[in-house]
Amino acid sequence: MTPDAGPATILGVETSCDETAAAVVVGGRSVRSSIVSSQVDLHARFGGVVPEIASRAHVELIGPVVAEALAAASTGLHDLDAIAACRGPGLAGALLVGVSAAKALALVTGLPYVGVNHLEAHLYAAWLEEPDLEPPLAVLLVSGGHTLLVIMEAHGRYRVVGQTVDDAAGEAFDKVARFLGLGYPGGPAIDRLAPDGDPEAIRFPRAMPGEPNFSFSGLKTAVVNHARQHPDTPVADVAASFQAAVVDQLVDKLAAAADGAGAPTLVLGGGVAANSALRARVGTLGAATGRDVFLPAPAFCTDNAAMIAAAAWWRLEAVGPTPLDDGVDPTAGLGVVA
Amino acid sequence: MTLMLAIDTATPRVAVAIGEDGRVLGSVYLSARRRHAEALVPAIAYLCEQTGVELRQLGAVAVGVGPGLFTGLRVGVTTAKIMGQALEVPVVGVSSLDLVAHPLRFGGQMIAAVLDARRHEVFHARYRPVSGGVQLVTEYRVGPAVELVAELEAGGEDVVLAGDGVASNRAAFGALERAVDAGREFEAPSATALVEIADGRVGREEFSAPWDVAPLYLRASDAELAWGNRR
Ligand SMILES: [Zn+2]
Repeated sequence: MTPDAGPATILGVETSCDETAAAVVVGGRSVRSSIVSSQVDLHARFGGVVPEIASRAHVELIGPVVAEALAAASTGLHDLDAIAACRGPGLAGALLVGVSAAKALALVTGLPYVGVNHLEAHLYAAWLEEPDLEPPLAVLLVSGGHTLLVIMEAHGRYRVVGQTVDDAAGEAFDKVARFLGLGYPGGPAIDRLAPDGDPEAIRFPRAMPGEPNFSFSGLKTAVVNHARQHPDTPVADVAASFQAAVVDQLVDKLAAAADGAGAPTLVLGGGVAANSALRARVGTLGAATGRDVFLPAPAFCTDNAAMIAAAAWWRLEAVGPTPLDDGVDPTAGLGVVA
Repeated sequence: MTLMLAIDTATPRVAVAIGEDGRVLGSVYLSARRRHAEALVPAIAYLCEQTGVELRQLGAVAVGVGPGLFTGLRVGVTTAKIMGQALEVPVVGVSSLDLVAHPLRFGGQMIAAVLDARRHEVFHARYRPVSGGVQLVTEYRVGPAVELVAELEAGGEDVVLAGDGVASNRAAFGALERAVDAGREFEAPSATALVEIADGRVGREEFSAPWDVAPLYLRASDAELAWGNRR
């Protein structure tokens, strides 16, 4: 199922959390520009994303970021074929900014508007670097906001086979990093420190073995308890052992899901997919089981707008434009598209 | 000839107008409750169709910048800024309190514009009618409705109250003796007022680059308030 309308040039906008992003992508695959303005410094002192602060920053940043994406792609508004924005899931006040901006541009230009599901966009990030990728895929989508195991059976057809029952994987990194005094965001901080520690120093629990769903809150409690009972344990050992427990849980369930679905290809997505231990382990899993592994570059794993424009290209072909009276859906799930 | 699009989304009502040299060609008012993002763009499209104005003919975009509902303001201000940027025309930001007071300029009395800020608080400002409009005589402020009432009482002056903050704090404002309520018709910012005020500003070249227009929040976010208290 390949869109036969020919290559379409799409401007994508993403404002679901704390990144203000815009990108120009041709034919769902070829990235002409991808601008991401991260607000991480604004939220660092609060140890997490503050929705009201994120929403206010998006209002300030969206205009310049869109202008920069067009300029970097040497594209004018009238060279575009459609304008897309992330409509959810995400923070309501933040999503409103991107959707309002994209709909305003669609109205001014007369171009179709496409409202895109953020989770679906993470799946389509894989095509930005691997244009010949073919479903079925087993996708592990892990970030501060989501922890999903998805079987992508075909374009527009997804089966969510596992998700977290409590914290998201990225949240667990943030909480443990904060507890260990490593700062925010937690994922990169732990990733940097872990190589100096022994991942087998402490045997933290691997939650819900044999089940497709994830759980991280017990692991966080175990880290806290251990650190209190053994205050002399080197922080690097705690970080490495915690990271090993997270990675084990993620990779074991990904392996089981791929087996169950007979999916020949493994794909990572989401901010936690930038974690070097996770990338290495998924690579090893692929080699051991004879599966293709696709690990998008960290810039396309974390929230970006190129993935929005890529998903919009498929959606435009499969279901057509989104009406201009469409709003945002902060709790949208990953449904069947076509 | 300057054609202008005017938008205000500071209250549960979406207000849009298209004006030509300060005269309103058409306006749409929708009780959108909290669905500003859904209602605004179709309202603009409908208005363009009915007035025969194409967006690329616009010479300016005007927007009510609040204070008011944060979510509404983000939708209206973002839409106006992006349209101004895409059309390469100036964007004029006007306080939504000014847009409540302006239609009452012929009454001769002091005007208190009062918009609902939830939690028994109101966004407010006071104005005196002057020739051709109203003149702001206080700052734009947010605070408990009862504090504004006490202030107005102490002032001892006749005052007209307007804006949705009056009805939602009926108990507080009902106690005022020298005040009259302008009523339902003046509950929300007027898009007609926005066309009139912004046209004058465009004439005097008092406008901003689209990127410089920002909502007037008046309140820090809850997290920042909590952070401030901790320190
Ligand atoms: Zn994401």
